[in-house]
Amino acid sequence: MDNQANLETAQARIAEAPDPAALAALERELLGKDGLLGQQLSAIPSLPPAERGPAGRAANELKTALTAGLQARAAELAQADLARDRAGVGFDATLPPPQVERGSLHPITHVTRKLVEVFTSMGYHILDGPEVELDWYNFEALNISADHPARDSQDTFYCDEKGSLVLRTHTSPVQVRAMERLTPPFRLVCPGKVFRQESTDATHEHTFHQMEGLVVGKDISVGHLVGTMKTLLRGIFGRDIDVRLRPGHFPFVEPGFELDARCVFCSDGCRVCKGTRWIELLPCGLVHPKVLQAAGIDPDEWSGFAFGLGLSRLVMLSHGIDDVRHLLGGDLRFLEQFSC
Amino acid sequence: MLISMRWLGRHVDLTGIDPEQLALDLTLSTAEVEGVERFAPYLSDVVVGHVTERVKHPDADKLGICQVDVGTGEPLQIVCGAPNVAAGQRVAVATVGTVLPGDFKIKKSKIRGVPSVGMICSERELGLSDEHDGIWVLPGEPTVGAPVAEAIGIDDWVLEIDNKSLTHRPDLWGHRGIAREVAAILQRPLLPLETSMPDLGSEDPVSVRVESPACSRYIGLSIDGVGQGKTPDWMRALLLATDQRPIDLLVDLSNFVMGDLGQPNHIFDRDQLSSEGIVVREAREGETLVTLDEVQRNLQPSDLLICSGGEGVALAGIMGGENSKVLEGTARLLLEVACFEPVPVRRTSSRLGLRTDSSARFEKHLDPTLPLQAAGHFARLLRELQPNVSFPAQLVDVGDWSDPACEIPLNPDQVRRSLGADISDEVMTTLLTSIDFGVQPQDGGLMVRVPSNRATKDIGIEMDLVEEIGRLYRYGNIPEQHLVGALVPPPVDHRRELTESCRDLLAGGARFHETMSYSFQSDSLHQMLGLDGDSYVSVINPVAEGSARIRRTVLPSLLTLLEPNRRQREEVRLFEIGKGYRPEEGNDRGEPKEVHELGLVLCQSKIDNPSFEQGALARLMAVVKDLLGALQFPDLQFVPCEEAPVPWVHPVRRVELVVGASGKQAGTTIGFVAELDPGLAGPLGIDGELASDTAAACVSLDLLLEQEPSGTSFVPLPRYPGFKIDVAIVAPDEVPARDLALAIEKAGKGNARDLVVFDLFRGEQLGADRRSLAYHLVLQNDKKTLTDKDAQSFLRRLERGLGELGAELRS
Repeated sequence: MDNQANLETAQARIAEAPDPAALAALERELLGKDGLLGQQLSAIPSLPPAERGPAGRAANELKTALTAGLQARAAELAQADLARDRAGVGFDATLPPPQVERGSLHPITHVTRKLVEVFTSMGYHILDGPEVELDWYNFEALNISADHPARDSQDTFYCDEKGSLVLRTHTSPVQVRAMERLTPPFRLVCPGKVFRQESTDATHEHTFHQMEGLVVGKDISVGHLVGTMKTLLRGIFGRDIDVRLRPGHFPFVEPGFELDARCVFCSDGCRVCKGTRWIELLPCGLVHPKVLQAAGIDPDEWSGFAFGLGLSRLVMLSHGIDDVRHLLGGDLRFLEQFSC
Repeated sequence: MLISMRWLGRHVDLTGIDPEQLALDLTLSTAEVEGVERFAPYLSDVVVGHVTERVKHPDADKLGICQVDVGTGEPLQIVCGAPNVAAGQRVAVATVGTVLPGDFKIKKSKIRGVPSVGMICSERELGLSDEHDGIWVLPGEPTVGAPVAEAIGIDDWVLEIDNKSLTHRPDLWGHRGIAREVAAILQRPLLPLETSMPDLGSEDPVSVRVESPACSRYIGLSIDGVGQGKTPDWMRALLLATDQRPIDLLVDLSNFVMGDLGQPNHIFDRDQLSSEGIVVREAREGETLVTLDEVQRNLQPSDLLICSGGEGVALAGIMGGENSKVLEGTARLLLEVACFEPVPVRRTSSRLGLRTDSSARFEKHLDPTLPLQAAGHFARLLRELQPNVSFPAQLVDVGDWSDPACEIPLNPDQVRRSLGADISDEVMTTLLTSIDFGVQPQDGGLMVRVPSNRATKDIGIEMDLVEEIGRLYRYGNIPEQHLVGALVPPPVDHRRELTESCRDLLAGGARFHETMSYSFQSDSLHQMLGLDGDSYVSVINPVAEGSARIRRTVLPSLLTLLEPNRRQREEVRLFEIGKGYRPEEGNDRGEPKEVHELGLVLCQSKIDNPSFEQGALARLMAVVKDLLGALQFPDLQFVPCEEAPVPWVHPVRRVELVVGASGKQAGTTIGFVAELDPGLAGPLGIDGELASDTAAACVSLDLLLEQEPSGTSFVPLPRYPGFKIDVAIVAPDEVPARDLALAIEKAGKGNARDLVVFDLFRGEQLGADRRSLAYHLVLQNDKKTLTDKDAQSFLRRLERGLGELGAELRS
């Protein structure tokens, strides 16, 4: 068999090698000691000296040719591989991906953070206060006298017979604690859990969340209160929302108001605003002089406004939650619906 | 409270006023109007008919066939069974298609073979009274064909005012009070009302003795000669519009005076009273009274009782007694118009669960000058309706009261500053005068006289006047202003930073779900978890029996969530950041100690032969390790707990969390991670098909805040390559992993880094009570490149070190 024929057979086999593994085996066979090349090389020493030179060259040529053939086939196979990968056989864009489980933050956390962000940007301190509160802070210092109906046991959880310790019925006591500690002027909000002695149903809860706000300074007016509330709403909703004040009575403010905001869910009346286009947003007012006094601030020198945002209500409104009991129920099917 | 516009119209001209607009005006200036409704809308569909003929029905004795003219030309033929229908009457006719109360639609019909188109209505059928003995014969000669309501002047609109927005306004619990506001808003005059007492006789009045300060004024008016009589339609319509069921002339008049002036009053049968008259006193222990609603009330000394002849005849300010009620035919009466103190009335009425229109008003602190006006108003109205009545005796008017009207100096600049609006002194004066306040210039400011009806409770200081001016000026007319002031960043709040970081790390990285629980924990939960012996802050009026305790710690709340959530999910990962209260560590002000905690639970369905990293405890430890590492406590150590941190954890499978330990410093225990005691799976409901592997962790945020975080200081990148090697160690079970790790560290001479366990294995080939732990680690030195030789000597040193522990390298 002449070299040329051997080479052609070998090249043909190389061209038919089906995959890189077969090609590697073929390479070992052809270029190895016992392979085509090896046989030629090992024959050289036994040749007459004059033939050794040409035989050596022929072997080199064979090696070059085989190597080139192997490389070409390897490149071909690599191309075929890429082409197969690119063909993407079997890909189904509609097959859902595997589920990645998420964690979540409580919706109260979300709304608190949003508000805290806006208030912090307006120079407010964020304060915390106890949930088990002294009667003094929860009622007395807030101008809620001993015979006020709000102190009835159907509204307030009392922790002792004397009535000196209660579960706070609002976040307003943090106002008083703050005023005792801080020197005016200041601005602050206090988010937290509050309690009312009430049987629960879809719209009533004995435990819910509020955020109290307080601003004390020189010549703070009703105009400032309105301006602040509009700025707050702009911060939350990213657009101007009209508000209106109407009379409302709370013992710790004078004058006291209910603040309504234009319904953000409709332009012509909906279920949420009960067709009125106004949503009752928060009670507020100018801090009662007696409250300033009780906290050691001179009402002749300083004035202020306070407001109480219902966080639970805000959460329910903004997510369309139909049952307040979901908020503290700890049901994963509820919690999972909020992002982290 | 319901307010009738027609009723208001008796006090202020409402011509041309739209009910919706009036409601809005009141909402913005006075009190929230929650609804506006047409009174008895069907009365506008029912028309006035003129009965032109009535003949007997041929086939029924009791039925009549009427021809009724309803102004449409052709008379309607209506079959009617009422005995009192007669030709010539004006009647209320519901024509075909009209819908009456109770969704009763009038249709064409045949009655005993005679066609009938429409119905002649009784008062009951129109919802006006219980009167059903006959049809309603309309008074006078109203226009035939006109809607009945307009034709007889009882068409009306009713405003529903939120009672909560009236709690501080005793003056608004009657129509005249609301009318005063409306007059001010509309700038129309409040019409005068004559309430002076008519002529009184000279008989001795009924004696009244007030023995309790809870009654500040008591007026008694004797009335004689009250005959039978029907309440006029206009009054019955007004009562109906405000949801008061007309009963009889005296009761209706009593209710009308209350609805008109806001002053409750009560009528006694004078013949039922003892000759000694009336005594107002506190009830005696064990005394009872059957009230008009026929319920026997057990009284206490804090209850105020109106007595006659030694026994109670009325619960003062709340409800009359059954024993002295006015029966039909009673001609001799005593009208009581009194002033009772708000607090005792409220206490008694809420204790007895007996809230009445009367108690609701007394609770608000009524004007003590009002009773005399109300008595005069009652007497005048009664005489108008029954000209034969007489008032035989002088008025009794006793009690220790004084006119609360007062004067308050007002600085107009203060008003402008507080409202932030440039309102002139003149405008202020006009606004205050419009609601009957007196205003006089004085000392450069104004002196405001507050009338008695506003001075009992609501108005006492200058800021109260600011409110009056602001609401009548309308808050909507105040320009908005921005706060101006130094913008100083708030002080750093470490606790807030810590809790917010925990939230982000746990919900984000660890994929836990944040929950917020009730602060109450049930006694049964505490018993189950062995926490019953702790002291708790407890409420004395819980919403449910056995759930009065406020939690000391967060985790038990989370344990109650396992079972319901495991029913829905294979795995439950929850955390809560919350507060707990410890009364035994309270301060001298009586406040319990407040603690702040992070609680975590990981509960997964039980798997057979889990690998070491699949168990809930290991997973939760990893979460806590990762959390504290991210919070810059990389030195967190898990230390075996000798003592159970809480009673409900596994006796062995639990660790304490220790930070800040170094060298001889012991560090601080800031919490624990533990499996649940296996015996609790049943009680907690996570057994059987919900069989679970459960771990819980508690981190005291208070203790963590006291620790110094490590901070992040840069470590130079290694300049010499390290190489990774894996070692597997077989050791007896009693050799703790910590000792093996120390052996590796020691053998590494400072070069063994990034030690990670990647496998734990037991098997027969290892022998009983032995385990194999496999580690990845990196050998690396900061000053030179380590070689294979270094690795070999590391392994030899390790072999020796392990030998001392009874462990060996696994080949």
